[in-house]
Amino acid sequence: MRKKRKSLWRRVNENTYIQATSGLLLPMAFGVILFALWQTEVLHKIFHTDTFTLPVPTRILSVIVDNPDKVIQNVVATVTVAVIGLVIGSVIGYLVAIIATLFPRWGGGGLSIVAACNAIPIVALAPVMTNWTKDVSKDANIRSMVAKTLVVMIICIASMSVNAYRGLTELKPFSLDLMKSYNAKRRTVFFKLRIPNSVPYIFTALRVSIPASVITAVVSEYFAEYVIGVGRQIRENIVLAQYTAAWGYITVASLIGIVMYVILMIAERILLRRR
Amino acid sequence: MKERIKKAASSKVVVTLVWLFGIAAIWEVMAMRVAETKRTPANILPHIGDIVKSIFDAKMVSNNMTAVQLVLSNASDTLLRAFWGFLIGAIVGFLLAILMKLSKIVEKTIFPYLMLIQMIPILGMAPIILAMTHDIGASRIIIAAILTFYPIATNTLAGLNSVQKEKYELMYSYSASKWTIYRKMLIPACIPYLFTGLKISAPMAITASILVDTLQGDGGLGCILSQSLKHAMSIYVFWQIVLFSAAVGILSCTLMGWIEKIVSPMKRIERKQNSIFARRKEAQYEKEKEKSLATGE
Amino acid sequence: MESVKQEVEIKINDVSVTFKDNKGNNVPALNHVNLDIKKGEFISLLGPSGCGKTTLLRTIADLLDPTDGSVRISGLTPKEVRMQQKFGIVFQSPVLFEWRTVKENIELPLEIMYWNKKERSERANQMLELVGLKEFANHYPGQLSGGMQQRVGIARAFGIRPEILLMDEPFSALDEFTKEKLHEDLLRIWAKTNKTVIFVTHNIAESVFLSDRVCVLSPHPGRLSAVVDIDLPRPRTLEMRDTPHFNELVAKVRNSFEGGSL
Repeated sequence: MRKKRKSLWRRVNENTYIQATSGLLLPMAFGVILFALWQTEVLHKIFHTDTFTLPVPTRILSVIVDNPDKVIQNVVATVTVAVIGLVIGSVIGYLVAIIATLFPRWGGGGLSIVAACNAIPIVALAPVMTNWTKDVSKDANIRSMVAKTLVVMIICIASMSVNAYRGLTELKPFSLDLMKSYNAKRRTVFFKLRIPNSVPYIFTALRVSIPASVITAVVSEYFAEYVIGVGRQIRENIVLAQYTAAWGYITVASLIGIVMYVILMIAERILLRRR
Repeated sequence: MKERIKKAASSKVVVTLVWLFGIAAIWEVMAMRVAETKRTPANILPHIGDIVKSIFDAKMVSNNMTAVQLVLSNASDTLLRAFWGFLIGAIVGFLLAILMKLSKIVEKTIFPYLMLIQMIPILGMAPIILAMTHDIGASRIIIAAILTFYPIATNTLAGLNSVQKEKYELMYSYSASKWTIYRKMLIPACIPYLFTGLKISAPMAITASILVDTLQGDGGLGCILSQSLKHAMSIYVFWQIVLFSAAVGILSCTLMGWIEKIVSPMKRIERKQNSIFARRKEAQYEKEKEKSLATGE
Repeated sequence: MESVKQEVEIKINDVSVTFKDNKGNNVPALNHVNLDIKKGEFISLLGPSGCGKTTLLRTIADLLDPTDGSVRISGLTPKEVRMQQKFGIVFQSPVLFEWRTVKENIELPLEIMYWNKKERSERANQMLELVGLKEFANHYPGQLSGGMQQRVGIARAFGIRPEILLMDEPFSALDEFTKEKLHEDLLRIWAKTNKTVIFVTHNIAESVFLSDRVCVLSPHPGRLSAVVDIDLPRPRTLEMRDTPHFNELVAKVRNSFEGGSL
């Protein structure tokens, strides 16, 4: 009897089809159960809370669906800040890594300082950014946009430069020797070896930067001068004790992060499929 | 040989110092320009000297306390909350990783949600969590814990999954029990990864703690930070907090490194022998070798 | 000499192993292998990659179930022998626990087998002396060379006083000089303990130098194509490798491969 059960267990384990689908079905089942517990207010009993603080999912969704214009306007504001900050920050970060690679002695030391930035609460600079960007524009909206983007940028520079530097310097064993044996120029080594080698590391950096850029954009909005963005809506609605709307914007903010992350995963699949 | 190592170490220190000096110089030049062009330079970029001077300034800022007294007294609240949140987050994260290792079903079910959690703006939820817990201290600890447990759980799990197949086979050939396999093999193997997670999340707990303070009242670094920005007290309080939090953030990360050295003596010797970068290279090389072996046979 | 090693210990009875590839096709790895291994014998499983030599070792070690046929060790199944902790295994890579010192690595299986602290320490010291790594007892594996690490692996395997020692290409990643030194060490330790050794390799000279018998396996599908007795006297010395008889044996082994050119 025991043996038979084990063989069934083994069959399930060895069946690649079951294994592949269970990776999708199990989390979905978990999600459905969670949703059901939430909707039927069992979750509220567990956490000793009420539907005012933790509205049921259908209520939250209806708030999003009922105000499409307002939601879209705020999403656009947040996404713009996150994406521009991410792109500019990552490009600058990569350039910093290249410069650091060109001057290894000084570059490596400089990057260890950049790496230490990860341990610094940079978001705490968000409030003072408002002061820094006072003269950028007369329009408060643009002014705050620049301030928010700057914070996102700094975060992205830190993560990209450290990762890209690793990608540019941690080469496969003997590959540099091989290049030397071809009497390759420094430039050739850079374009044929270092840059291709750094591509997976770019994705590693982006996997950190994308959630960070969205969260940073959201948090900087709390402190921004101009009232716009998903993050600011969360705060405003909480201040007004409109928790349903706040939850709606929390959901939207999470969705922004998820969508960006999924796009990254697809891009990575396509670009790195041969590795 | 010994001398060469000594030289390299000192030059690394020199490089770092030169960089720090360079950054300070740039700061000062900018501050000088700001001082010339702006009406209230302290709000934008004060001289480093002025910030340092403000630390030793005996002038009362608020509640009969000097600026530095104010910062330090509020810091203890914030750091204590960060510490408890970090501790809870670390324990939960570690246990969750073990649970995911024990059961593939749990791993498959929970892992996607672990990824999701880092997408949720937890910081923004501070007031909601407060409304749920009805206790301001507890709500802040919970937020710090939620933010810290994710990197610890994922890094520990990566460590648990990094153990080579042969090690399992070796333990299997000794017919070691599951408990023994965890105690003697999996848990020691994941310790370096656990510390990678701890090094990431320790500063995060502090950042979270400060930011949550800004969104609520009731004391704490973030609270006086926002008061200072609103000019309820000297702006230098803000700058002191910036420097203080930067220092504490880096210190928390370094502290994890020290604890790691104490926990695993292997680390100490390794550090002495080669730099982190060289070790990573070796690990990468090993991976390549394994890959080629796997496809070869 | 032969008379001592008469008792059959391992009986491999018509063993076949079939793998499934990722398209679900059956790929035969071993085809009807029959082999008797005597107690205290040093036997080599020799063949090119893909001949199933490692697969055969793994079925003996209970790391793999044969699709067909059976393995019996003194009448017991491999699983029963494994549960009695009578196997010592040495892999191609040293598989040392990098957070444990050399000595602690050798003590690891002894801890699992509930030896007390004093016995463990004594046994580990004894093994360290045997493999000549006494002064490295408190080093960590990362500080040792590849050859030294593999020596620790051997010490660990012999440390538990196994009935059967299973070695899966243990020296294939080492340079020739280190390899020769370790050959001598292995034979010396084996002579002292007189355990049954099953040694997987793809190196003909190595198998001839070490073994009492060389089992030649051929690929596509993996099968046992010949068993060659090696009648070189014991103890063996490196000089024997230069004798005509040694070369004859090497030629004999080489010629017993089936299935095309090598």
